[in-house]
Amino acid sequence: SDRLPTAGGSAAPPPENSNSTVRELVAENSVVVFARKGCCMCHVVKLLLHGHGVNPTIVDIDEQNEAGIKNDLSRILGGGGVDGANSGNSAAVPQFPAVFMGGELFGGLEEIMGAHISGELVPRLREARALWL
Amino acid sequence: MNSTSARFVPSKRMGICEPMHQMAMWDFKGNNFLETSPPSMFEIETNLDNLSEDTSHGTVGPSSKYDQEASKSDDKVRRRLAQNREAARKSRLRKKAYVQQLESSKLRLIQLEQELHRTRLQQGQYVGGGIDTSQLGYSETTNPGIATFEMEYGQWVEEQNRQISELRSALNSDMGDMELHIFVDCGMRHYSDLFTMKATAAKADVFHIISGMWKTSAERFFLWIAGFRPSELLKILMPNLEPLTEQQRLDVSNLRQSCQQAEDALSQGMEKLHYILAETIAEGQLGEGNYLHQIGSTIDKFEALARFVVQADHLRQETLQQIYRILSTRQAAQGLLAMGEYLQRLRTLSSCWSSRPTEQT
Repeated sequence: SDRLPTAGGSAAPPPENSNSTVRELVAENSVVVFARKGCCMCHVVKLLLHGHGVNPTIVDIDEQNEAGIKNDLSRILGGGGVDGANSGNSAAVPQFPAVFMGGELFGGLEEIMGAHISGELVPRLREARALWL
Repeated sequence: MNSTSARFVPSKRMGICEPMHQMAMWDFKGNNFLETSPPSMFEIETNLDNLSEDTSHGTVGPSSKYDQEASKSDDKVRRRLAQNREAARKSRLRKKAYVQQLESSKLRLIQLEQELHRTRLQQGQYVGGGIDTSQLGYSETTNPGIATFEMEYGQWVEEQNRQISELRSALNSDMGDMELHIFVDCGMRHYSDLFTMKATAAKADVFHIISGMWKTSAERFFLWIAGFRPSELLKILMPNLEPLTEQQRLDVSNLRQSCQQAEDALSQGMEKLHYILAETIAEGQLGEGNYLHQIGSTIDKFEALARFVVQADHLRQETLQQIYRILSTRQAAQGLLAMGEYLQRLRTLSSCWSSRPTEQT
């Protein structure tokens, strides 16, 4: 079935295998959203971020790559990680959609919405160099 | 009020006023609220003794006292005055400590009362009511999770009505911010409890929750994803929060805008889910008569509906918390009262409407 056209946002090709691809994605892009294909929650996250002028990198998760990506993410979050600050996080993979900002796990839709309401989202986006103003 | 103040009484009134001064202190101490400290009683007795000693030296009249050149008598007078002042000062301090104790006990009492209400509610000690049983759908009898929710919600509404009355009285009285704060916290927690209840019930039967079957008809009319629309609520609340500072006005306005953006995003997400569910159930050739597969794959996607209810409630919770941050305690109390009464009006509207006389056809 066709997905509804998404409003902007670049969809990165689902990383095939290596840990480093997911790691690279998270490190090199200011905002990365991992979400299952056709996920409606992801749609909401995208809309909220677009509203702030941010074009997140979307990583589509499907049955084939799900296990691999979850593995990679848990390694990133569990020990060492993209940057040392994440070593405190548990190795458990977050629920999808999962938003990474500035190389760190920011959270899911709940965290994005919470930050949007409390006014914390914009400063965090700026910190992650996702905003230019 | 200051019967115990040790104002320096002008000398010419010394003889007359002092005994009364002593009496006032005696009264206060005699009440036994404070630890009646023997020293103070002793002080008084000493003072009274001194007084009687002095009067024996002459008449109580002003001129005779001050005509006395004897320094011995002056010393005694000075000593007595100093003792009085000291005793009065200690008395004032004790009184202050006592009043502070009273006030913190009062706060604690209010807190305990609220906790007791909450506990009783949770243990189901209140008889549930306020549910318009004609609104209940069939699922209420077959789904225990929903039956529990309906009962708990009935109690929630009763407690809500009680809190509204309490807030109203509190705001009309001269209650201070510290006490008001307790009521505000209570109100916030009450909404939090509702969101928790809804999340559990949505797992039991998301359609019951999302259709608003558990609410009254007027509330259902204004429903947005199983509850109130935060930006709408802010619009209604604003005039009832005056006076607002310019900063607050700006903050509330920004909050309202953020809410609208979040609501739009959630609404669009729901529309997408709508579309996907419609597609899934209609998949394949319609008419073949074999559609178990479609039913299965559609049901699999219902879990997403429950997540939307949770996210919408989360938005409501965040909005309430943000407005709590923006407002003063008093304003927050006013806001909770306004919000509570608004929802109460909708419920009353519904019951008036449903009990109106209808024409027989």
